Amino acid sequence: MDDLLNEFLTETGEAIDVVDVELVKLEQDPNNKEVLDNIFRLVHTIKGTCGFLGLPRLESVAHASENVLGKFRDGELQVSEGAVTVILESLDRIKEILSGLEATEEEPEGDDSELIGRLDVIAEGGAAEAETAEDEPDTVDGEIIDPTLGRSLKAGEVSLEELEAAFANAPGPEEAASETPAADNSGQNLFERVGGEDTIAVAAHLISQRLGNEDGLSKFFDAAQQDQRKAQFTGLMMALFKDNIDAADNVGRQLVTVSGFGEAQFDAMLKLVKEILVECQVDSDVADEAIMIFELVREAVINASKEVAKPKVNKAGRSAASNEPSGAAKETRRTNQSIRVSVDLLEDLMNMVSELVLTRNQLLQITRNIDNSELGVPLQRLSQCTTELQENVMKTRMQPIGNAWAKLPRIVRDLTVELDKKIELEMIGADTELDRQVLELIKDPLTHMVRNSADHGIETPAERIAAGKPEHGTIELNAFHEGGHIIIEIKDDGRGISADKLSGKILEKGLASEGELADMSEAQIQKFIFHPGFSTAETVTSVSGRGVGMDVVRSNIEKIGGTIDMVSTVGKGSNFAIKIPLTLAIVAGLIVKANEERYAIPQISVLELVRAASKENAGENDHKIEMIKDTPVLRLRNRLLPLVYLNEVLGFNTREEIDARENADDFIIVSQVGAFTFGIVVDQVFDTEEIVVKPVAPILKSLDIYSGNTILGDGSVIMILDPNGIASLANSGVTDNATEDEAEKEHVRRSTVNEKESMLVFRAGQEHQRAVPLSLVARLEEIDVSNVEKSDGRLMVQYRGALMPLVLADKEMTLRTDGRQPVLVFTDRQFTMGLAVDEILDIVEEQLDIKLASDRPGAVGSAIINGKASEVIDVTHYLALAFPDWLGSKDTSDETGFKTDAERILVVDDSDFFRNMLRPILTVAGYQVTTVNSAAAALHLMEEGEMFDLIISDVEMPDMNGFEFAETIRDGSRWENVQLVALSSLSSERDINRGFEAGFDDYVAKFDKQTLLRSLAQQFKIEGDAA
Amino acid sequence: MNDLVVRNNTTEMAVVGKQDFVTVMLDGQILGIPVLAVHDVLNAQQITKIPKAQDWVAGVLNLRGRIVTAIDLRRRLGLPPNEEGEKSMSVVVEHNEEPYSLQIDKVGEVLSLEDQLFEKNPVTLDPRWREVSNGIYRLKDQLLPILDVDRLLAFESNNKAA
Repeated sequence: MDDLLNEFLTETGEAIDVVDVELVKLEQDPNNKEVLDNIFRLVHTIKGTCGFLGLPRLESVAHASENVLGKFRDGELQVSEGAVTVILESLDRIKEILSGLEATEEEPEGDDSELIGRLDVIAEGGAAEAETAEDEPDTVDGEIIDPTLGRSLKAGEVSLEELEAAFANAPGPEEAASETPAADNSGQNLFERVGGEDTIAVAAHLISQRLGNEDGLSKFFDAAQQDQRKAQFTGLMMALFKDNIDAADNVGRQLVTVSGFGEAQFDAMLKLVKEILVECQVDSDVADEAIMIFELVREAVINASKEVAKPKVNKAGRSAASNEPSGAAKETRRTNQSIRVSVDLLEDLMNMVSELVLTRNQLLQITRNIDNSELGVPLQRLSQCTTELQENVMKTRMQPIGNAWAKLPRIVRDLTVELDKKIELEMIGADTELDRQVLELIKDPLTHMVRNSADHGIETPAERIAAGKPEHGTIELNAFHEGGHIIIEIKDDGRGISADKLSGKILEKGLASEGELADMSEAQIQKFIFHPGFSTAETVTSVSGRGVGMDVVRSNIEKIGGTIDMVSTVGKGSNFAIKIPLTLAIVAGLIVKANEERYAIPQISVLELVRAASKENAGENDHKIEMIKDTPVLRLRNRLLPLVYLNEVLGFNTREEIDARENADDFIIVSQVGAFTFGIVVDQVFDTEEIVVKPVAPILKSLDIYSGNTILGDGSVIMILDPNGIASLANSGVTDNATEDEAEKEHVRRSTVNEKESMLVFRAGQEHQRAVPLSLVARLEEIDVSNVEKSDGRLMVQYRGALMPLVLADKEMTLRTDGRQPVLVFTDRQFTMGLAVDEILDIVEEQLDIKLASDRPGAVGSAIINGKASEVIDVTHYLALAFPDWLGSKDTSDETGFKTDAERILVVDDSDFFRNMLRPILTVAGYQVTTVNSAAAALHLMEEGEMFDLIISDVEMPDMNGFEFAETIRDGSRWENVQLVALSSLSSERDINRGFEAGFDDYVAKFDKQTLLRSLAQQFKIEGDAA
Repeated sequence: MNDLVVRNNTTEMAVVGKQDFVTVMLDGQILGIPVLAVHDVLNAQQITKIPKAQDWVAGVLNLRGRIVTAIDLRRRLGLPPNEEGEKSMSVVVEHNEEPYSLQIDKVGEVLSLEDQLFEKNPVTLDPRWREVSNGIYRLKDQLLPILDVDRLLAFESNNKAA
């Protein structure tokens, strides 16, 4: 069913129920202005919505009732019982139409002229002298004319004759039947006729007794509670027979406390009640009447039973309702499927559940220490219920993010008019759900950012055309889930953020000195837009640019534990990515120990746990921590994982103390921050616990290593570690730029962590340090020099059951005469070689920037690493040295069938290092390689008519990234059919999918040489097969 | 606390009458904390240390389900640290709706002091004390410096100034 209609049905149903009750109140207290206003407002709303949805029948009825109510309100008509009855009747009619509407999605056929006539008579009757009191300037009225009546519905236009004729013609019998209970109010007192209190007491006794025995009903009425039942039925009948509807309703609600009590059961119960009444000498007619009265509580009883089954109703429930096939009992079903609950109540529930979870954990903790406890089983059950309760309450708080976006199209539309721009807003993933608390908090930042994009980002049509872009600017909102977080991207294809312009502003505002700026990368400068008190717009428009922009956005997002990142390219547009947790309340945390204190690490950032045996006890297959100079690393599935010691990070121990420990088994928590994976070494790992994250006190906010604190099951407070902060702390020891603003630093680091490479720094022969990307190194060994043998003029060593050639990293270097020689082991397919070096210095995370290319064999070039000029070695050179047949082997030994006329490969990468690294690798693999440093240069080659068999492209590149490059090529260019392989350090599944979407044929992680070569071979093979 | 007369000279205590103070002992020195600022007085608590925090942050503790940041008042005021094993007591105060626990040696009595006993800080007072103290009451046998809780806990503004 149409969402809108469904919403309308729910809402109107609710409104009518309220009007029902209020009207009754009004009747009792005709001068209650408040009640009257309320009724009028509700009916008016119903009328308005009906008109809006094009439901003429409903609207006409509602309009007529509203007229009467309007007269009441203006004091032109006295509230009379008769009038109220007719209004109630019209409400019933509305209900009837609504149920028809729900069943068929169309207004049922029918004639309401009689009812409307009566309503109008009432309105007219009192309003004869007050014709001018047409107080409703209703715009909807003008066009809504009931086609069956063929006249406008305004009260003043109805002639009396017409009405009387209508009155006489259509006194449908169904009207009489649907007379509402309120209409009966004036009737005689049933209480007396039934036989008073005595009869009721006897009947109640019998009812309560027999209900327990009746098949089909007994399970709803527990025999053990017979006394209670008796009291309830007594109360119910007293209330009903004395016309005390409210009281009856109340009792009715409590009657059934078991779910599943439906229409059939109610009917059965009524039958029973009637039998008993007759038994109690009550006249059969009176008994019938009494049973009729029972109908009043039918809904209350059944609803109560249903509410037992469904204590809460959420969005999911509502949509489920809309999918159900239409049926007879539709009306009651609808009202039960969706109830409105105040947000406060939900918040309370949430808090209670949080506390419940904590208490449950506490209990679990206590019973864990008791053996064979009887508590075990019930506690298990309690635990399970609590978990389910928690999940469900969480669900009630989930809302689609589209709710926060609802206003945006309008805002953008208004902006396009005001700023005279052409902007399209694309929204993807609007149904991504997140906690409503989070939703509320990001609503404003999102709006602000979209405004910013529209105002600052997108250029005017003229500027866009001049820049060679389509006239229409596009702002794209994209929301999706990623590992317990929601990512919201706000992308525009506008002018981007100019670092030059920003620099001027930064200087002007004194946020940084010229020298500092000179040292910053463009991205770092762009991050200044998040700085407090910064605004880039040259002119302050009414839309944005008051200097309270992005810093507020950032602080709002960080307040809820989120991060915001930005990539902007001048002329191409900006891309903001907000990462926020799904919910704020409860997360799973891994409890670890360091120096006798416990800490929690959010489970989300834990990839795996590794236990490392102490050096002494380590067996052949055990993981163990190895040292490269002072840097601890762990071999993990053919990769080296940099490690940090929590004890050291927290300042408990110095490295020397940690090294001096004896026989310590360490636990390593492998965690990931962005693309940076590292291990945190802790003393001990306990279990995971659900923890309620509480923010740290303001004075501790500056500590990056904590994301909050929490109270554990045993009542103790522990700190929650923030792997982000630990990663940056671990890195800061190396980069040492402590002068930077703390927050800014973290920010920059987070954004640049992707671009950094782990470099192994060593010394060999000469004084200067040399470096090699750590990921190229298969293993680090120390080889006993006495094992080194000379064979065929070459150095060899027995290694893992085979002979491994040993190459000296420098001509001037000599092997040690005794002791152990550090060796870097490189592996390429079946070739394994050792590179002997004098000393391994360090492992550093550094952004690689080859400053000077080298023509010396064995070197790729020089880069600044760790603050010193370092020679980056060319591993392929040494491989060729070790295996004279290595070069040639590619042509002959590869089964992939390379032909002699080499395939032409184009390498697109902005990093000199990679170009220099790939070229020899690919050349030796037998390809003919061309390299360019940007997508633009590649496209230039294409225009010049160059042709390649395959293109390897980096993904992260300035100006045009790999994805865009691929899309451009695939979009009908000359190279449309060229194989495309992406090479990237972004290797999450999402990135990979994105790569394939953009048109890449394969996606290879950077430095994964094996896979790259295999992929190339495969791509050519596919091509060959296809040809 | 009867607010009788408001003096014009606002550099001194503006309200005349009687003020109530909780006295606490810290390294042999008696200090007063306005009684209305004190939410709780606790015996020795289990305090979770926070590595890397400022040295005068003693840690966090659990006060009936609320997490309270504990301030080591000795360090904050430049006094020598507690001797090993010596237990401290906590006076819980609130600042910007955030609870803080001031770790002190022990809590004394509650004094109701007349305003005429109040005096401005002597200019020669240790600046660290002057920064957090409103002034001093002259008791019969000793002097009672008064702690200004808000100034003591106004870390944010301190940080900005630094």
